[in-house]
Amino acid sequence: MRFMMLMIPRSYATPGADAVARMARYNDALTKAGVLLALDGLHAPAEGTRVAFASGKATATDGPFAEAKEVVGGYWLIDAKSKDEAVAWASRCPAGDGDVIEIRRVQEGD
Amino acid sequence: MRFMMIVKADKNSEAGVLPSAELIAAMDRFNKEMTDAGVMLAGEGLHSSAKGARVTFHRNGTRTVTEGPFPDTKHLVAGFWMIQVKSKEEAIEWARRCPDPATGGETSEIEIRQVFDLSDFPQELQDAAPHEAAMRSR
Repeated sequence: MRFMMLMIPRSYATPGADAVARMARYNDALTKAGVLLALDGLHAPAEGTRVAFASGKATATDGPFAEAKEVVGGYWLIDAKSKDEAVAWASRCPAGDGDVIEIRRVQEGD
Repeated sequence: MRFMMIVKADKNSEAGVLPSAELIAAMDRFNKEMTDAGVMLAGEGLHSSAKGARVTFHRNGTRTVTEGPFPDTKHLVAGFWMIQVKSKEEAIEWARRCPDPATGGETSEIEIRQVFDLSDFPQELQDAAPHEAAMRSR
């Protein structure tokens, strides 16, 4: 089954080369285990736009937004045998103090 | 440039209520339109947060696992598309054309976020992650 590991970072500061290298080793481990399907990082929420739908009308609002605390900053899409395995992989991530990884099962076409 | 169009959760998506056949058909047409335009790279829907978990990382190296569901529904992700477009304006235009994703008559929201490409990082950081280009969605 596929899971999204959604990174909810505490900050959007550019990481140092050491932190990037640690994360690269983690990503390599996911790849070697045949678990990793895709990953990406997102630009800061302040640079984003929100489109709200109400009564058939779409309204676009540019960031920054007041509440951007629990907002996704990146993801890994993984293939794991169970949610427990996905949680175990998330727990191995060299994430920073205060970061949160949310694990969510992806809907399949069945 | 790549953008992620993130569909936010609402009460119904969090309750596991499936969208109507009408909404599924409208989404199918929208997906086909984006595919025909060469814009859509990926699209997924997520199960409710009740089936999820969160891992919180602490300074002393410990991790805490919290089982879902999670509060603050309107900040949760219900699904997303990954698209390839020429500008943020084009991404916003596609989001506006999306069928209202609400599953229960509430106000719904799509958040548009630019996705990092390796070239957005200084060379020093690109060198620190030599295998990463192949892992990113294309």
